[in-house]
Amino acid sequence: MTPPRLSRRTLFGAALLSLPALPALAQMDPNRAAAFIQATGQELVGVLNANAPVERRRAAVAEILRRSVDIEGTGRFILGRWWRAASPAEQAEFLRLFEEVLIRNLASRFGEYQGVQFALGRAQQRTEDDALVTTVVQRPGSAAFTLDWRVAEVNGQPRIVDLVAEGASLRLTQRSEYSAVIQRGGNQVGALLNAMRQQIAQLSR
Amino acid sequence: MRLRSALLSAALLLGLAGCATPPPATDREALQEFRANNDPLEPFNRAMFQVNDAIDMVALRPAAVVYRTVVPPPLRTGIRNALANLRAPTVLANDILQAQPERAFRTAARFAINSTLGLGGLIDVAEWQFGLPGHREDFGQTLAVWGLGEGPYLFLPVIGPSNPRDLVGLTVDAVASPWNWIGQGEVVEALRWARFGLTILDTREEVLDTLDEVRRTSLDPYSTIRSGYRQRRRAEISNQAGPELPSPSTGFGSVIPQTPADPGPR
Repeated sequence: MTPPRLSRRTLFGAALLSLPALPALAQMDPNRAAAFIQATGQELVGVLNANAPVERRRAAVAEILRRSVDIEGTGRFILGRWWRAASPAEQAEFLRLFEEVLIRNLASRFGEYQGVQFALGRAQQRTEDDALVTTVVQRPGSAAFTLDWRVAEVNGQPRIVDLVAEGASLRLTQRSEYSAVIQRGGNQVGALLNAMRQQIAQLSR
Repeated sequence: MRLRSALLSAALLLGLAGCATPPPATDREALQEFRANNDPLEPFNRAMFQVNDAIDMVALRPAAVVYRTVVPPPLRTGIRNALANLRAPTVLANDILQAQPERAFRTAARFAINSTLGLGGLIDVAEWQFGLPGHREDFGQTLAVWGLGEGPYLFLPVIGPSNPRDLVGLTVDAVASPWNWIGQGEVVEALRWARFGLTILDTREEVLDTLDEVRRTSLDPYSTIRSGYRQRRRAEISNQAGPELPSPSTGFGSVIPQTPADPGPR
């Protein structure tokens, strides 16, 4: 039965080639994911509650997010089918803006997050590649809420790939949002990039 | 009735706004997304979204801000607990209809404990002292458990994100609630209106931060809310939303109101 197997293998190879190049993902150990979220969360809370000037805290948050979030993988996921429609320059610009929006959004809420605390809940394997770590976030004067962190192993290191609040995944919601902006902008990825630039300009005022 | 006239004018506007054009069959990814969005009435829904935005800006949001500013947090928590306690019979009925005896038992026990020891529901003694956290159920979820599809996405003023299945659920829950049938007279009627008004205030106040956040960070709040509503409903239907969640369903179509109109999410 050599010919069918050969053709199947060829098909499989072709399918692989047509997939976008993904970073190597390996099985994520829930305990390791939990320890990673604990450490990253502590760092973030430390910065959010610090008494340093906003500029310094923003730089610190940016540094933490850059090494704990899989910006490229998540950005690609969120751009979804438009990733391949985008030119290499647009892809690079998108990832740059995506990171900037992430950091600026968090930085614009430093005041609200003063005094924030979090407690680690259970961690569970979700798929082959990622684990979901549950935390309970408490801000002074408002009800506690649960936040689930999806952690995957990217190039040997645990990285955050998604946030789930009240059953809604941030990356799914954002993919829907960004796709709508592109479609309403005449199916142009550039329309999204413009909107993101405007958003950054507003956030940094 | 308010809902009927709203639906009627909705149908009228629908004729004016038209339907969304599906992408060509050749663009499979676009078609896939179009189907996943399940929003064939998007032009109409977006128009309603704007109408809702306007109502919210002048009435609902300011009222919720005043409510938060004027009423101290412990009293607001008490009101929220009492409103949840009034919903307990509805939750219980839906627990039973979904064949969830354990959840039904918990709901019944909570209602008994909170109505008495909890001073008419003001204090959630059941969770605080008995470790029995509450949960939400509505007839829309029951219909989903029974296998009914949600139908096309709908966004309606004041009601917010919904779909035909959840709208039917909303109506059935409202009509079937025992508080609609027990008692009569002016005092009872006034209490019904008070509950309705407080439900609107409480619901809008609960989602104040979330919706401010969506408005501030989303490049297209309409699709953010559509996606968020769908995902959350899915989690609620499969009872995956943890019991420690601060009753997240309010404002996203699953509140059981006294009269068939429901505070919107914005």
